[in-house]
Amino acid sequence: METHAANDPSQPRDISEPSQSSLELERFSYDDGIVRLFATATIIWGLVATLVGLIVAVILVMPELTNGLPWISFGRLRPLHTNAAIFAFAGNGIFAAIYYSTQRLCKARMWSDVLSRAHFWGWQLIIVLAAITLPLGYSQGREYAELEWPIDILIAVVWLVIFGGNFLMTLINRRERHMYVALWFYIATIVTVAVLHVFNNLVIPAGLLKGYSVYAGVQDAFMQWWYGHNAVAFFLTTPFLGLMYYFLPKAADRPVFSYKLSIIHFWSLVFIYIWAGPHHLHYTALPEWASTLGMLFSLMLWMPSWGGMINGLLTLRGAWHKVAADPVLKFFVVGVTFYGMSTFEGPMLSIKSVNALSHYTDWTIAHVHSGALGWNGFMTFGMLYWLLPRIFQTKMWNDKLVSWHFWVGTIGILAYIIPIYAAGLMQGLMWRAMDDTGNLKYPEFIEITQSIVPLWWFRVLGGLLYVAGVVMMCVNALMTWMGRPAKYEVPVHTAPRLSKTYKDEPAPKSDLDDVPVLDLAKKVSVFAKMGWHRRWERLPVTFTVLTTLAVIVATLFEVIPTFLIRSNIPTIATVKPYTPLELAGRHIFVSEGCFNCHSQMIRPMVAETKRYGEYSKPGEFIYDRPFQWGSRRIGPDLAREGGRQSSYWHWQHFEYPDVVSPGSVMPSYRHLLEDDLVFEKIFPHVEAAHFLGAPYTEEELTQTKEVAFRQAEQIAAEIVGQGGPPNTFNKQAIALIAYLQRVGVDLNRTETPAAETPATDAPAGDSPPAETSTDEQPTPETPDAETQEAGA
Amino acid sequence: MIRDIVSFLDYSICAEVALALFVGTFFLIFYGALRLSRNATDKFAAIPLSDEVEEPR
Repeated sequence: METHAANDPSQPRDISEPSQSSLELERFSYDDGIVRLFATATIIWGLVATLVGLIVAVILVMPELTNGLPWISFGRLRPLHTNAAIFAFAGNGIFAAIYYSTQRLCKARMWSDVLSRAHFWGWQLIIVLAAITLPLGYSQGREYAELEWPIDILIAVVWLVIFGGNFLMTLINRRERHMYVALWFYIATIVTVAVLHVFNNLVIPAGLLKGYSVYAGVQDAFMQWWYGHNAVAFFLTTPFLGLMYYFLPKAADRPVFSYKLSIIHFWSLVFIYIWAGPHHLHYTALPEWASTLGMLFSLMLWMPSWGGMINGLLTLRGAWHKVAADPVLKFFVVGVTFYGMSTFEGPMLSIKSVNALSHYTDWTIAHVHSGALGWNGFMTFGMLYWLLPRIFQTKMWNDKLVSWHFWVGTIGILAYIIPIYAAGLMQGLMWRAMDDTGNLKYPEFIEITQSIVPLWWFRVLGGLLYVAGVVMMCVNALMTWMGRPAKYEVPVHTAPRLSKTYKDEPAPKSDLDDVPVLDLAKKVSVFAKMGWHRRWERLPVTFTVLTTLAVIVATLFEVIPTFLIRSNIPTIATVKPYTPLELAGRHIFVSEGCFNCHSQMIRPMVAETKRYGEYSKPGEFIYDRPFQWGSRRIGPDLAREGGRQSSYWHWQHFEYPDVVSPGSVMPSYRHLLEDDLVFEKIFPHVEAAHFLGAPYTEEELTQTKEVAFRQAEQIAAEIVGQGGPPNTFNKQAIALIAYLQRVGVDLNRTETPAAETPATDAPAGDSPPAETSTDEQPTPETPDAETQEAGA
Repeated sequence: MIRDIVSFLDYSICAEVALALFVGTFFLIFYGALRLSRNATDKFAAIPLSDEVEEPR
C-alpha cells in the first residue's frame, strides 16, 4: 500500500475511465476530508444542541429569566433544541459514519467529491437557517417538522438528490461484491427519510415563510406521527444500527456475532417500524382500527430491536476484557444497552392502558432522552473517539479525559432520566386521581405542575453533567486536531473493479430431483433455497427498490383508509372555519410554539372530561391546519378553552401569567400586547385556507381586513368593558384571544342565529354534543350565518 | 370511485391482514437466513474488519 499527502494533486482519487479488463488493478484512495468535516460539525452542533437543551431546562424552572423576550421563550427554543439534537448533532454524526464506513465497505471512494462537499455545506446551511427561523417564530407547528416550506425544499434536494445520489452511485461503483448489512441500513435510512419528509411536508404556501399543510385535523395528526415516529425509526435508529454494525466490530476487532441474525434484524425492523406511528395517538380522535394496528406492530418491534441489541452486545464475546480498558467500547456498550432499554420501553408505552397513564406526561420526555442521550449520544461519542485519531492521524490528546467524559455523561443521563420518570408518573397519577366523592383529587392543574418542579431541577443538574462531558470532548478533539501532522497521509489501495460479466453461483439444485414428485414441488424446493435473496444482496438498485416497497406498502395500508373511509371522520354541521382574525390568532399560537405546552385534545377518560369538558370528536378538527393536539401538557389542555375565561383575563395572562395563575411556569408574552397586528397580512392565510376547502364568504375573501378589524374592535370593547385598557384592537394579543375564545365552542354551538355572545365564565363542555352527520364536506353557510360567527 | 370502494371494505380486518403479511415475510427471511452457509456468513461478518482489498469478491 502506498501513501500520498492529502493535498497532493497527483494523488490517486478514483479511476474515472473504465478498465479494459475486469482484472486490471485500479488505484484509489478514500476521501477522509469529508469525514473530518462532518466529524467536526458533529462536535460543534453537539455542544450547541445540548447547551440549548440545558437552557430550555433552566427556563422551565425559572420562566422569569426570559423577561418576556420572545425569541428565547420556551415555546420557540424547545423546537430549536430538538431540531439541533436530531438533525444537527445526530445528523452530522451519521453522515460522518456513513462517509467513513461506506467507502471502506465498498472499497471505493465516494462517487463525487463535489456532491460530498455540496452535501456538507448544504446541510450546514439548513441548520443555520433553522437556528435563525425557529427563534424568530417561523414554524409549521408540527414536532420535528417545524421548518417552513422553502427550507423543506432545500432539505429534500440536499438529502435525496445530493446525498442519496452520491451514495447510490458509490454503491453501484463499489469493488466489494457483497453489500455488508450496515449498507442496507443506510439504504433504508435514505429512502425512507426522503419519503417521510416529502409527504409530511406537502403545503400550500401563504407567503415566503408560511405554508398550510394539505392535511387537516385527524389526517394531519396521522401524517405527522407517521413522520414523527419514523423519524425516530429511520433517522435515529437505522443509521445508528448501521454505525453499530460497522464501528463496534472495528473497535472490538471481532466479527459481528451473527450475520444471520443481522439479516433477520434488518428486514423485521424495516418492515415493522413504519406501521407503529399511530401509537402516538392512542385515545385521541384517531380511528380505533389505526390505533390498534399501531399498538400491534409496536409490540412486535420488541423482537427485531432486541435482536439488534443482542447481536451488538454479543459481538463483544471474548472481548469483554477490552471493554474494561477501552472507553470507546464503554461508550458503545452503554449506548447499545440504552437502545435495548428504550426499545423495551417504547412498545410497553404503546400498550393502550400504559399509554393512558403516560401520554402527555414527562414519562415520554424521559423515554425520549434515554434513547437520545444514551443510544444516539453515546454511539456518536464512541464513534468519534474511535475516528478522531484516525482521521487526524495522531494520538488522542488525553485518554483519561475520554474516560471522564464517559463517567460524567453516564451519571448525567441517570440524573436526568430518573427524576423525570418520577415526574411523569406523578403527573399521570395525579391527573387521574379521584376522591371518594367521585371528583378530581387535584382539580387545580397548577398544583400538579408545582409538585414536579423540584424534580425538574434535578434534570438541570443531569443536563449540566451531560453538557460538561460534551465540553470535555470538544477540548479533547480540539487538542487532538492541534497535534495533527502538517500533511495528512493518504493511503492508496489497489483493487480491480467488479466484473460486469460476473457469473453468479450456479442456481441451487432441487433436493427432489431424483424423487418422483411434480415439477412444481421441485421448483418450490429451489425457491426455498433463497438463492434469489443472495442475488438481491449484491444489487444496490434492486435492494433499494425492495426496501422502499417494504416501507411504502405498510404506509399505504394505513394512509389509504385514513384518507378515504368517510366514517373515520364524521363531520359536524356546526363546525365552521375560523374567521380571518381567528386564523391570524391561530397563526400566532403556532408561531409562539404554544403547542409545546398546551394540548388541544380531550381523551375519552373520566378524569379528563371532568377536568376539561366533553371529549374531542374527529369532526371538530376539519379546518385545523396544522392539528394542535400536542404531545405533552406543561400547561392545561385548551380543547374547550373558548368562553371559559374573559378576554381581559387572557390579556392579563399574556402579560403576567404568574399573577393571574399563581405558580404558573408560563413565560410572559407581553410582546403580544405591544406588537401591532398587521391586518393586511391576514389575507394570504384566508386565501390558503379557502384554497384548501374552507368555505369563506365573498366578503371574507374580498374584504378580509375589514372583517378582521370589526371582530378585533368587538374584542377590544369587551376588554374595556371587563376593566381592561383601551385601544387594544390593533395588537397581536387580540387575534390570539379571538382564536382562544373560539377553540372548542363549535361542538356545542347551535345554528340558530343569536345575538352577540361575549365570553362567559361557563364551561363549554357542560351541554350535550351536537349531532353529527357523515356529510363529506361541511354545508356551505349563508352570509348571515357567517356574519354571526365572525362577530361571535 | 376509489373512495367508494375503500369505504365499502370492512377495514376492521386490516390488523390481521397486516400481521399475516408480516409473519409470512418474516418466516421467508428467517428460513433463508438459516440456510446461508457458515462459510458465507463468516466471510460477510468479517467485511468491516479489513480495509484492505483481499480479493475481488
